[in-house]
Amino acid sequence: MRRSPGSPAHWPRHVIMIVVCFLMLVPFYWVIKTSLTGENIYAWPPRIIPVDPHLFNYVDVWYMIPFARYLLNSVIVTAMAIAGSLLFNVAAGYALTRHFPGRRWIVVLLLSCMLIPFQATIIPAYLVTSWLGVLDTWLGVALPLLSTIICIFIFKASFEAVPPSLIDAARVDGLGEWRIVTRILLPLSKSAIATNVILTFIWSWNSFLWPLIAIRSPDMQTLPLGLARFLSVMEDTTGALFAFVVLVLIPGLAIFLMAQKEFIRGLTSGATKG
Amino acid sequence: MTWFRRKRTRELALVVCFLLPSLAIFFLYRLLPLGWNAWLSVHAWSPLKAAQFIGVEHYEEMLLDDDMFWQALVNTLVFIACSPLAIAAALGIALLVNSDLRGAAVYRTIVFLSYPLMTVAVGIIWRWLYDERGGFFNYVLRSSGIVDQPVKFLQSFDWALPCVILADFWQVLGFYMIILLTGLQSIPQHLYEAARVDGVPASARFFRITLPLLRPSIFLCIVVGILNSFTSFDLVYVMTNGGPGHATELLITYIYKAGFGQTRFDYAAALTVVQFLLLVVLTVIANKLSGGNAGSLERQ
Repeated sequence: MRRSPGSPAHWPRHVIMIVVCFLMLVPFYWVIKTSLTGENIYAWPPRIIPVDPHLFNYVDVWYMIPFARYLLNSVIVTAMAIAGSLLFNVAAGYALTRHFPGRRWIVVLLLSCMLIPFQATIIPAYLVTSWLGVLDTWLGVALPLLSTIICIFIFKASFEAVPPSLIDAARVDGLGEWRIVTRILLPLSKSAIATNVILTFIWSWNSFLWPLIAIRSPDMQTLPLGLARFLSVMEDTTGALFAFVVLVLIPGLAIFLMAQKEFIRGLTSGATKG
Repeated sequence: MTWFRRKRTRELALVVCFLLPSLAIFFLYRLLPLGWNAWLSVHAWSPLKAAQFIGVEHYEEMLLDDDMFWQALVNTLVFIACSPLAIAAALGIALLVNSDLRGAAVYRTIVFLSYPLMTVAVGIIWRWLYDERGGFFNYVLRSSGIVDQPVKFLQSFDWALPCVILADFWQVLGFYMIILLTGLQSIPQHLYEAARVDGVPASARFFRITLPLLRPSIFLCIVVGILNSFTSFDLVYVMTNGGPGHATELLITYIYKAGFGQTRFDYAAALTVVQFLLLVVLTVIANKLSGGNAGSLERQ
């Protein structure tokens, strides 16, 4: 009964999927078109193919706003979040593979913490960060992302899949605990590392609500904040806004397209964003 | 014996050192805030004033005198109640791309493409699509002659909320699809083959095999839909900032405004407690409805 791929009876499904994909891609096209157009973006009727396409808008972005500064802040915060979360998640994931009294309780505690969405903690999170004295700093923005529960469990599962005899052999050879992690376990956990890096990148790069709260000075703003600020100052009167949007979206899209498999695996095990 | 004990102590010290940083972060940013919110919600407090216990006054104010709270609550519930539409659409797409369709992987990638994007940027893109002059929707509606005058979607009390919800659908659709695909792929193929041999029609195969076995995935989608009403802060903030009036105000945007706009941290904390309880109650209900007898194929 199974039809072979590409047989004639498949065409209605292709038609539906092509329509769906077309609808999904329209917003991308519309914003790219607007960012490239050379005429007034409010001209009626809007053209489907940009007239006189050029990159002026992309150049404008660099002059109209401190784009480089926003980019720097975003990159530093994201790098801190990735480095910190790798270190702490690997350490915690390894600790959870060991047997010690109270381990079950810690696992239960972590699983229940996972159910608390970050958005439900903003008021006290602000007060905690202010009490720690790191409001309006890179560290303050990165802090809540420095360890993520889902990635701890991904590392735990990955470490547990390594044959114990390998670890015992290393221990007999006199390797210290941290050496065992870095020399034996991590090289065997590449896909867990990739998942951690990608998820933390996306969470940190796209994060808006938390930086909006934790950052005061314009100098410290990250890209999403800069985008919102640009919007509130200029409204959507200039094509530069849409050039800004395109520039900001490229890193996320590039990472997704390069590492689709790890990305989707991580997200489905994480299930919630932020 | 002492060697053994020393080894145990060292092992414990190692575990503590390795776990401490993570536990400290979860304590400071998850557990402590939960308690702090509850504490703040029953006190009158502002950064420059000593705390004073006032019992349920904040809750009284919220439930009896605060129209904006009710509006935000209703909007949040509408937001959540619409997510089954997106889940149904995602299920349709998942069924299509799960088959032996040529190019299914390309379709999947395109549908999923909008999910990892920065939500602030998504908000700006959709704001522009809805624009009365340069926007895509008005272009289509006007050039096909359906409307004469441009529609101001995001300035309209009737249209603003559905418009924001549609933008959210666009972003999250691919994620629902991936969750449902994972569920579909875990259904054993031999069930379908057995049903086919018995001559069970396709619609019955869907309702008797696919849907019951997909229940855990559908439950996960519903939870994501509930959480979405929290995470859609970015979208609303950029697209409408809660307006016009409070037509698109969600609980999360109202909490932000109460806390950081009016510096009423105590009241915002009370709002957060209500929102959190709502999340817990809805999740439990969804679990009862869809997870309660998930995988009950044997019993049928």
